[in-house]
Amino acid sequence: MVISFSVGAVISLICGLDRVAILQVMISRPIVAAPLTALFLGEPLVGLQIGVMVELLWLARLPVGAAVPPDDTQVAIASSVLAIIMGKTLNASGPELLLLCLLVAIPLGKVGQYLDHYARQYNVRLIKKVDSALDRGSLLGAELQHLRGLSSFSLAAIGTYSIILLGGLLAIPFLWPLLQQPLSYSSDWISLALPLVGIAVILGTINVSRAITLFCASFCMAFLLMWLV
Amino acid sequence: MMTIPRKTRLYIWFRLLLLQASWNFERLQGLGFFYALLPGLRKLYSDEKLLAVSRKYVGYFNTHVYLAPMVAGAVLKLEEDQASGNADQAFEVDDFKEMVAAPYAAIGDALFWGGLRPLAAGISLFFAVKGILWAPLIFIITYNVLPIWFRTVFFARSYRQGIKSVEFIQKHRLPDWAIHTKEAAVVVLGGLSAFMVFSQLTRLQLPSWLGLLTIIPMVLLVLVARRGFSTLLLIFISVGSMFLLGVFWADMVYLLASWGVK
Repeated sequence: MVISFSVGAVISLICGLDRVAILQVMISRPIVAAPLTALFLGEPLVGLQIGVMVELLWLARLPVGAAVPPDDTQVAIASSVLAIIMGKTLNASGPELLLLCLLVAIPLGKVGQYLDHYARQYNVRLIKKVDSALDRGSLLGAELQHLRGLSSFSLAAIGTYSIILLGGLLAIPFLWPLLQQPLSYSSDWISLALPLVGIAVILGTINVSRAITLFCASFCMAFLLMWLV
Repeated sequence: MMTIPRKTRLYIWFRLLLLQASWNFERLQGLGFFYALLPGLRKLYSDEKLLAVSRKYVGYFNTHVYLAPMVAGAVLKLEEDQASGNADQAFEVDDFKEMVAAPYAAIGDALFWGGLRPLAAGISLFFAVKGILWAPLIFIITYNVLPIWFRTVFFARSYRQGIKSVEFIQKHRLPDWAIHTKEAAVVVLGGLSAFMVFSQLTRLQLPSWLGLLTIIPMVLLVLVARRGFSTLLLIFISVGSMFLLGVFWADMVYLLASWGVK
């Protein structure tokens, strides 16, 4: 469990920084971060399934200006680690366990939003330090203050990951015996519903004229092609 | 004449990858922009003048992260002209920075976040739903080609062209690209939805025509989302309904079986 937690923490840190602070090459997207985590833990398919379910959920929430979307990166990474750890601890497998891990992690993604917000708020303090460094004539000091911002984003990423993981580790052993059977009746449909909800939210916010018409035409055309061919 | 050596420009380019390391609510990317440009400013100014110019750059700055190199390249060129005394006196570097940052941010947000990201996600999810483990790599490649092109080619181009680099945006109608990319994303997401529903029905051996009914809840969800409902609420309403329906259906099957009905 400690190894799984540590591997997840390293990936959570790297992907968490990619999300805002450095690079932005999108390794922080759930479709990348979750399979990557699960690959390092030896079960890449678990991560891929979680990535499919989480990727589209908050894709419509754009990181525009000062807007901070919920932390889907840490939700994806922590759910993957949880699913793998819990699979071994509870000696269980299948889509029901993945779903339970994900459904516990999703609301905790809001914590990531608050921590990210707090990290950006904390970075305001760096401005004064930069100003005073420049007053002292120290350009190097000013440069270093900029790099110090990385630590607040790192702490926000690791903090979110730890909170989601801890929440899951505490809640899932209690919830699993209660929900395993009922979830098995609907797990296939819930797994389908999650990406569809994400797509609906994207369509609702994408600002394309006739988005619904375009979507329906594309859906029907693709569906009929698959059905009839 | 270019006075900032290629090696320094390369260094600035790498520093631009850390543009948002100290993102904050007061000056947004201001410190990052200063941090990125500093090696170039060091080549142009020294001592007190360098400090004075640096103070100017630690102020507010915000643009799209992939278009920031385009702003940085042009700003470097303008600073270079100013340092060598060839600058247009009527046009301040600060004016240019403020003039382009917001429009570039709007174009970048629409093109990359609003259009390209859902498009690349939609394409890669086709593979992921099929269980193909290369799906994340497909996403990374599909998504990153355009941003890397913008970050590299336009940094070099805007350094060469200075203020004139703005003409590229006008000439190539980047805002129109954003709209077309979003439309493509909607089409891909329509196809993806159909694919996921069809695959599910086939796997569960249910009649395929049922899938066409998906349109109804999808349109309802879109309309609800447009009214500003939170995504989290929509997730829990959808999951909760599915869960209760599943339990109800299982009970019905059990009940019918106990009555001897198949």
